[in-house]
Amino acid sequence: MTDVSITDFTYQYPKSETKVLNNLNLTFKHNHFSLLSGPSGSGKSTLLYFIAGLYPRFIGNDATGTIKFGQTNLKDIPLNQISRQVAMMFQNPNQQFAMDTVIHEMTFVLENIRTEPAKMDAIIDQALTFCGIQQLKSRIINTLSGGEKQRVALACIVAMDTPVIVLDEPFASIDPGSRIDLIHKLKELQEKHGKTIILADHDLGNYQGIIDEFYYLDPKSHRINLLNQQEAQHFFDNFESTQTINKQLNLPPKTDAQSILKLRDFKLSPHDSLLLKLDHFNFYKQKTTLITGANGIGKSTLFNALTKLLPYTGTILYTDKNIKKIKPLNYAKNVTLLFQDAENQFLNVTVKEELDLSFANRFNQDYTHEQVEQMLTKLDMQGRDDQVVYSLSEGQKKKLQIVEMLIMNPPVLLLDEPFKGLDYKSLRLITGFLETAKTKYGQTQIVISHQLSGLEDLIDYHAHFENQNLTYQGVI
Amino acid sequence: MNPGMKLLLVVLIALEISFTQSLIVNVILIAVSFAYVMVKRMNFKTLFLLVFWPLFPALGLFVSQWLYGSAGIHFAWVLFTRIYAYVFLGATFTLTSSITDLSLTLEQDFRLPSKFAYGVLAAFNLMPKIREEVQIIKTSALMRGEVFHVWSPRLYFKAILSSIQWSQNLAEAMTSHGFVEDEPRTHYKVIRITALDWTVFIVLLIAVQVMLFLIRY
Repeated sequence: MTDVSITDFTYQYPKSETKVLNNLNLTFKHNHFSLLSGPSGSGKSTLLYFIAGLYPRFIGNDATGTIKFGQTNLKDIPLNQISRQVAMMFQNPNQQFAMDTVIHEMTFVLENIRTEPAKMDAIIDQALTFCGIQQLKSRIINTLSGGEKQRVALACIVAMDTPVIVLDEPFASIDPGSRIDLIHKLKELQEKHGKTIILADHDLGNYQGIIDEFYYLDPKSHRINLLNQQEAQHFFDNFESTQTINKQLNLPPKTDAQSILKLRDFKLSPHDSLLLKLDHFNFYKQKTTLITGANGIGKSTLFNALTKLLPYTGTILYTDKNIKKIKPLNYAKNVTLLFQDAENQFLNVTVKEELDLSFANRFNQDYTHEQVEQMLTKLDMQGRDDQVVYSLSEGQKKKLQIVEMLIMNPPVLLLDEPFKGLDYKSLRLITGFLETAKTKYGQTQIVISHQLSGLEDLIDYHAHFENQNLTYQGVI
Repeated sequence: MNPGMKLLLVVLIALEISFTQSLIVNVILIAVSFAYVMVKRMNFKTLFLLVFWPLFPALGLFVSQWLYGSAGIHFAWVLFTRIYAYVFLGATFTLTSSITDLSLTLEQDFRLPSKFAYGVLAAFNLMPKIREEVQIIKTSALMRGEVFHVWSPRLYFKAILSSIQWSQNLAEAMTSHGFVEDEPRTHYKVIRITALDWTVFIVLLIAVQVMLFLIRY
């Protein structure tokens, strides 16, 4: 029996006042599929890293309390035995492999746990077959799609054959088909192979009827509660209802007259698999267009093509000019991306240096220093001039990033999940700022967001991404 | 040939021709290396690049020695061919050996600690991602109105920040895949240094010594 029991477990980051995990007492039951949910940044990953034995080794300080596998304290398990007990799948598909090809990675894993070489072929074939990826055996991992990589990661776990499997937001960047398929594979591992599965996800789609237990990490109390049937149902229903806000919208005009970005015979197929095919599609000037669609379907990839970070076929026209013919700096000043990861936007070290850089290089003088100071104060970001940007919390990073890109005030702003990890109050403030940028300064905004509530007033058009197509909808 | 032995041989020969001045030996080394990579099937684009890029430093050395040096045209030719000898000797290794096999043999036969062998390998496999990351950093800088060139310190500052993050993630991933420093591992593919490897190594090394001794021009 390998119940994973957690007793009086408390953790706080070094130099931080708040306890990310506050006196947890819970048991992930043997041979159960447990889902751990809660808003992003609430500490789910931290707990999973401790369970997988990666923390405290890879972090500065230890937690108090105990984690036990069955009757054994995790701390009493020697390092070389931990991977016989627990395997982990990470959020980022790109950073979990050491070797070049699938087969090399799998032999690397088996060598580490000292499997007899004679048995390896059979184990690898079995694991690949289970995950339905025999055809990927000799492929180079870098050339696989996100969904394929996560399947390879699962195959490694299957080959390791550990009783406990821990997964940290494993589907955050993979396509819906792979997501459903992998959830079912995990269920099969639990039911037919007696595995204990602990999975963290803030997206509740596709879990209903599959999971045995639903745990919720409350962001206020920093505690984890096991929800009963009714409460779980409430969360699932709530999640469903946030998938739409039932707002009627106009469809964009049929003509090209008001369009600012035009896609013609456009095809996007990284990793040789077609993500998006648009014969004729427009984004409209001085409008906010919301793009929705499942994770990993290609929304961010579309932004990468629009900012010339990725190759595509066909034509993209910006104000009737082929963007391939516009000089990189000039184009970047006109069509600017607010990166999903705020750190990608930072070039300097302190908050003041970051803001000064935006003031120095901005493309127009629309915002005064006073206005910016006001925005910062409203967002509770004032007086942080000398703080190192990388030491800000995720929410503060996001706020700073948005303010500095508002200062730049480009004609077209692409925003990739700009509200992730922000509280509702900040979200409303920022939608207000964006509204001003649009109405007063004529900015065109294209937004990718899973968060819908609170955006009602800002959104003009809604395009849904599905079946390799992007179509305007009359409702959100 | 065992990739570790091959690397050692190439490095030894390259070191030796750095301190000798035999034009003919350089040419023989280029010819033999060239024949070797051709037998191992090299495509013409790679061949062209191998000849083209070293041309600038080689010509530069040649011209400066010929026109301004005191050792005469012979030494100019030695320098010219030496550059190509380095390139083609290097190519016999890089174009025909896999980095994976090299780390396997370094770990198994040369007793290199496995964390170095696999750490280097993992870093090598990250190269394409690093290239993408640099592209992202440059684009992101453009969007803030800054142009980053290859010599911009801030480009490296950002790149190093990302690398630190990645190396941490990679170390975590390797650990979760059961890798523990200095612990014994089994080996699916056992790479041994065979008697043949030793023979080829010694014969080739002696052949180069003999040539360097006999052929002084």
